[in-house]
Amino acid sequence: MSEREQYENKDISLIDILDTVLDKGVAIKGDLVISIAGIDLVYLDLRVLISAVETLVQSNQQGAKSISSERMDEEKEALEYVTERS
Amino acid sequence: MSELIYLYGIVPVQEDRQSLSDLDGIDGEHALHTINFDNCAAVVCHVDEKDYGEKVLEDKTKDMEWVKDKAFHHHETLIKLRERTTIIPMKFCTIYQSENSLENMVSTHADDWVQLLENLKDKEEWNLKIYCDRPSLREKVAEHDLTIKEKKEEIEGMSKGKQYLQRKKLDQLVDEQVEKELNSFSKSFHDKLNTYCDQDLVKKTWNKDVTGKDEEMCWNAAFLLPLDQVEGFLEEVTTANSEHQHAGWKFEVTGPWPAYHFVNLSKSEV
Repeated sequence: MSEREQYENKDISLIDILDTVLDKGVAIKGDLVISIAGIDLVYLDLRVLISAVETLVQSNQQGAKSISSERMDEEKEALEYVTERS
Repeated sequence: MSELIYLYGIVPVQEDRQSLSDLDGIDGEHALHTINFDNCAAVVCHVDEKDYGEKVLEDKTKDMEWVKDKAFHHHETLIKLRERTTIIPMKFCTIYQSENSLENMVSTHADDWVQLLENLKDKEEWNLKIYCDRPSLREKVAEHDLTIKEKKEEIEGMSKGKQYLQRKKLDQLVDEQVEKELNSFSKSFHDKLNTYCDQDLVKKTWNKDVTGKDEEMCWNAAFLLPLDQVEGFLEEVTTANSEHQHAGWKFEVTGPWPAYHFVNLSKSEV
């Protein structure tokens, strides 16, 4: 497995989103630009936002895992089928 | 009803205006599309003014559920866009009144955009966060640090009264040495990674209340890497993790990101 596969889009958590989407990216004054960073978010709210994002990412990862275990089962079945026939 | 334009980012000129129409817009109703300009293009979706007008937005951004949902959409969409094309990511909720006003903005910055796109081509952003087990590091410093050892010996030779005060000061000194150790260790790893990257940025660290982790974040950085350097860069991280894990260090790397940290305009923001 390449290093990239090991890290790609994994472990994206709380601060990562906070660090980037809300904090970085180009800020240009459009006709209406509401920048979250410019609004006084209460500390606690930030924490809520972050943990919610974390939950979302985790559930996505679990989704991916269950797919792969399904695939494992399929492969197992296929193997059993082959060995029975031989 | 009048429609506004939500801007995700700037990309190279796209041949097919509908090539992104499989991606849902921020409101879940409109799809993404591109608007071509002379030398670059904007990735946008339409939004209804009744939902995304200035006044409405001001209220909505106070609703954390809404922000959470939409910020996550913005993040996910940019990740998908980045997989398809070089992109200059915009901040969350950058909205224009009309194609005209968007065009005005683009033409003002067109030279910058084009140059930036050229510079970002075939590069990826990866972020690194270093965490450490501070109590165990503190213990180690208290026992083995040379400065601390000398100080301890000095105190041994003092009168009882003096010793009491000096021991208190010693605690402070240990904390200072820990801080130094954290920084120099992280900095030297950062410098090592720097040899792989095109640009780097050291950012502020977040405290435990925000990270929700047991370990303390002691380094936070972003790197812009040429594609052919990514593998080597990540290998360093893997190696560092296995070498220093027992000492309580943890190196967390995430990516590839749109180049959020490397898209500052050369001129001041308009």
